[in-house]
Amino acid sequence: MSLTRADLAGTQLRIVAEELSRSFGNTLALSGVSIALDPGKVHALVGENGAGKSTLLKILAGAERPDSGWMALDSEPYAPKSVTEATRRGVGLVFQEMTINPSLTVAENIFAGRLARFRRRGLLSRGELNRAAQALLDSFSAEISVSQPLSRLDLGQWKCLEVARALAASPRAVLFDESTAFLNHREVDIVLEAMRALKRRGLVVAFVSHHLAEVGAVAAAITILKDGRKVGDYEAHELNREQIQSLMVGRDLSRGLFPPHLMGFADIADDHVRPSSLTLRGGEIVGIAGLKEAGGQRILEIAAGVTPPRGGEMRLSGAPFRPRIPAEAWAKGVAYLPGDRTGEGLIVGASVLDNLTMARPPRRGPLFDQAQARKLSAALIRRLSIKTKGPQTRAGALSGGNLQKVVLGKCLAVDPRVLLLNNPTRGVDVGARAEIYRSLREAADRGLGVLIASEDLNELIGLSDRILIMRAGRIVASIDDPASASEDAIIRHMT
Amino acid sequence: MRETAVSSAKPQVDAGRQGRDGLFGRERVSRFFPVFLLVALAVAFSLTFARFLQFNNLMIVAQQAVVLLVAALGMTFVVIAGSIDLSVGAIVAIAALLAAKTSGSIGVLAILPACAVGVLCGLINGVIVAKGKVPSFIVTLGAMVVFRGIVLYFTRGAPISIENEAFLDVYSGRTAGISNSVLITIVLVGVAAFMLNPTVFGREVRAIGGGERIAHLSGIRVDRVKILIFVLSGLLCGMAGLLQGARAMAATAQLGEGLELDAIAAVVVGGTPLTGGVGSIQGTILGALIITILSNGMNIIGLDPYFQNIVKGLVLVLSVFITIDREKIGIIK
Repeated sequence: MSLTRADLAGTQLRIVAEELSRSFGNTLALSGVSIALDPGKVHALVGENGAGKSTLLKILAGAERPDSGWMALDSEPYAPKSVTEATRRGVGLVFQEMTINPSLTVAENIFAGRLARFRRRGLLSRGELNRAAQALLDSFSAEISVSQPLSRLDLGQWKCLEVARALAASPRAVLFDESTAFLNHREVDIVLEAMRALKRRGLVVAFVSHHLAEVGAVAAAITILKDGRKVGDYEAHELNREQIQSLMVGRDLSRGLFPPHLMGFADIADDHVRPSSLTLRGGEIVGIAGLKEAGGQRILEIAAGVTPPRGGEMRLSGAPFRPRIPAEAWAKGVAYLPGDRTGEGLIVGASVLDNLTMARPPRRGPLFDQAQARKLSAALIRRLSIKTKGPQTRAGALSGGNLQKVVLGKCLAVDPRVLLLNNPTRGVDVGARAEIYRSLREAADRGLGVLIASEDLNELIGLSDRILIMRAGRIVASIDDPASASEDAIIRHMT
Repeated sequence: MRETAVSSAKPQVDAGRQGRDGLFGRERVSRFFPVFLLVALAVAFSLTFARFLQFNNLMIVAQQAVVLLVAALGMTFVVIAGSIDLSVGAIVAIAALLAAKTSGSIGVLAILPACAVGVLCGLINGVIVAKGKVPSFIVTLGAMVVFRGIVLYFTRGAPISIENEAFLDVYSGRTAGISNSVLITIVLVGVAAFMLNPTVFGREVRAIGGGERIAHLSGIRVDRVKILIFVLSGLLCGMAGLLQGARAMAATAQLGEGLELDAIAAVVVGGTPLTGGVGSIQGTILGALIITILSNGMNIIGLDPYFQNIVKGLVLVLSVFITIDREKIGIIK
């Protein structure tokens, strides 16, 4: 079968990279890695956190430049200075972050930056724009209509809009940077289906992912990285999931992926919780699913020192941990985000800065250190993209999603070891939700233990490394691979 | 110099800030109402009675204001934290009596028992409020009756006079023409303003008033801070009792009756709402001066004493009407 230019968005191409290296300060993120990406094939880049997979992908997409090494598209030298230049050369990137602008329409988002193309006698031709956008969406079977309002679409569909935006540049390669992080399994399926469709059209498709289930589902070729070096290139059928994992980690997995237990609960009990035991490791996000009174929120309250347990024992980094009041939990680096934002989480009459520094005010002796507080607040506002006029703005002036980010900021301000979160995105809009999920994953990647009780199952499935299911005060099931778990199976345990 | 450079470089931040200290920005009206009221009273009284603005009368006003102001300083912390202290008048009486009783033997050092008994009374209030989880209104209402009962029980209603020269010299004499009690009060005002504004303690007090449960869940040791606040109020009442005794050269069992209401009025008229979370020492100074000048001025112009009460009550209600934060109505304690 021969493919003509008209059949494809462009001609087929092969991306070759040789001996790429890149360091950030003293950290060698990538060291002499070579890779070849073939058209019509889905290529997965896997590795632990810090293995260099995202750096490699960003270099390929022009978002980072290598310190040394060279790249070629077919036989042409390829050294993009920016994502824009890479896009012009036919290599598109789908970012890890959500880059959809909620105040634009579906079609406007897809053709953001290219709207001039639809100018007819000085005016934007909506009909043409929408038809072109719809054609792009249909081309990889995303079941999205351009007439749908953005607020009706889920996070997976938002991701598809970003895929469509990449396709608007008629690329010959599309690179996905952890695009499925924070999506639930249904949303992930939509993105994976998009990858398959692009592959069938003969494009180069490469992606970075944490979830080996996704890798197994779509990838034909796998490149494993570890500590900035390439472990090897493999055909997907050569390896099973356990083999991939041990190649990623470079050691026997029987000892576990994570450091020893950060926080342990042994037979914790009170009026609402039957004796329950669980552990939380550093770097891990554990979700507790269950109906409202099932006990998940209660376990958080016990760990946060809000309601002391009747019996049982808690340990933090091996030492006995028995907070009688929240202040004692905070002092040990256990931060708590309560379920009721405005009644428990923050003081709406106080400023953003006041709230961010409430749990651990920067101090010089008995004095409140204003300069340090301003610096800390500015950093948190940037890190969590809190939309506020400034740190002195009254918290009450912020939207629900931004208020929740302030509460999360208050928790992160104490540089915690453990984050306890009660329904962290209840009543939070979809954009802010994605940003909160990203912050939580970042926190876990830095070694924090995160324990989440949530009534939003999709959230737990998309975010957790492990899900515990509670029913009537007991932990009745544990799901170790939430990415492949179905909502139905979890609901069956809950009721 | 550096400070101005920073603030002029960031006008957009200043646009968003409302209060100078950055906490709980208030509307302009409620911030400047006390100043306006004070100026209006001073102008009105001096127009009707020329002697009002003379140095001697102003010094009398200041001396009259100090006892109220010192008690109101402690009340400011209590009210900002969302509580109330009805026992201040009775604590002032206990402290004045103890100072009078001990001044004969230990002279100037009578300040120590006066302050100690104030701290003890405040500690009792604070522990019952914080650890016993009883509303401060009830605890301090009971304490008011108990403390006043203690005073009456031990004195049998008889006044105790103060004759120690050194004591009277230090606590009611003059230095460079200015009453020592006024100078002492200025120091106390400075200390109170320091504790409320640039310290972590001051922020914790505001946070507790802004939302006690939120403060608790955010790791603030609410019980400890509340006990400290009542101890502070008791300590300042001890000082107020000392100054009152020295000025009257005697302590009576009725001393300080009704002072709790004047202190609350001074705090509230000064723009610190009973809803908690916000407030200032400057406001309380203005409030205490307004209450005192109102009484002084009405006396000077010879207004019927019974009618004076009607005016004072109306001024109190008017002030709250203007300064209260209506978003928080419903959690008034």
